[in-house]
Amino acid sequence: MRRALWTVSAVAALAVPAVAPAQWLDYPTPGIPRLASGAPNLTAPAPRTREGKPDFSGMWFANVPSKDACKGEDCIQEERMAREQINLGIKLAGGLPYTEWSKAQMVQRRLNKGREDPHTYCKPPNFPRAWTLPQYIKLVQTPGLMVMLHEFNAAYREVFMDGRPLPENPNPTWNGYSTAHWEGDTLVIRTNGIRDDMWLDIQGSPITEAAQVTERLKRISFGIMQVEITVIDPKAYTKPWSVTIEMALQADTTMLEEICLDDEQDVKLYK
Amino acid sequence: MSDRLNRLIAAAGTSILLVAAVEAHHSQSEFDFRANVDVEGKVTKLEWKSPHARLYVDVINEKGEAVNWNFELPSPNTLMRRGWKRDSLKPGDQVKVNGARARNFPAIGYARSIRQANGEALFTGVTQIQEPEPAGVKPQ
Repeated sequence: MRRALWTVSAVAALAVPAVAPAQWLDYPTPGIPRLASGAPNLTAPAPRTREGKPDFSGMWFANVPSKDACKGEDCIQEERMAREQINLGIKLAGGLPYTEWSKAQMVQRRLNKGREDPHTYCKPPNFPRAWTLPQYIKLVQTPGLMVMLHEFNAAYREVFMDGRPLPENPNPTWNGYSTAHWEGDTLVIRTNGIRDDMWLDIQGSPITEAAQVTERLKRISFGIMQVEITVIDPKAYTKPWSVTIEMALQADTTMLEEICLDDEQDVKLYK
Repeated sequence: MSDRLNRLIAAAGTSILLVAAVEAHHSQSEFDFRANVDVEGKVTKLEWKSPHARLYVDVINEKGEAVNWNFELPSPNTLMRRGWKRDSLKPGDQVKVNGARARNFPAIGYARSIRQANGEALFTGVTQIQEPEPAGVKPQ
């Protein structure tokens, strides 16, 4: 026992890291393909697990160009935001196929300028909306479980890959209940049990308890993952619809917690 | 489709220009982006908290009184990923701030740019993105 403690102590002493500046914002991600310059090789093939399946592990953010669009010298860079963050169906011809009820909801929420947006009130990030929010998502993949960590409110989501069925008559939650299976190199995530009052975007496109959501994850390359979201929600939409969000790997950096309720000051200004 | 919905859709199409900055925490409808504010003053605090960092600046008004302005910035995470630090501005620093005013509250603003007293840029404000109306919202 004592010897074991000694060993643990010795390993711990050896593992004490040198102090890194600025947390790990610029800390090199170990074990990733790199170019001769040392930069991450984002066009390298997608990595695979020991079982031979694509490995989606890593930090991801909607693939929005990080360019300096500021005309003056007082801007460092343009804000990065997926267009789908405002309107998830923005790239669909005709937009999302709203039912009369859901269209009235969305239009009224727009007229109210998003004042009732759950996100405004620091409520949790809910998938599939969470893919488009301006915080990082970290996927941690194991053979039987995918864990999705979201910076906003330091939230998590579990996707079970152990063969269990979706629950029947589940208690509705923000992210619902998710299972996944492989179709070739595509990870197919199915979700039910989403709450009845969730928003899909800033303009307030609803998603309801009736929804069945399928997310198809494809890692196109080391640097790019596509998430095809299909929603079947007969209460809110007249027909099934699909949109694809492209996610970009965020290498050589770290997750930063963002606890929204820490200093929320905007809601009182809506009065 | 009901008359009420048609009226709502028409109103949405004619009256709304959905303005959303990347800080998705809120729609920013509490700010009037046409009401410009330019002030100069002394930093009292750079508050480094989520969901928005805030810069507090003492500005001397026409009566000679110090008014403490509260300027909203992007989130600390966004700022850190641009290289800012929680001590990038210190109490006592003299700054010029450009931004938008809160609609219904005095001395609260949304910072677009922050410059040193000599006009040299310190760091960015936020970029507003104006999105087109979704299909079907425009009046028929």
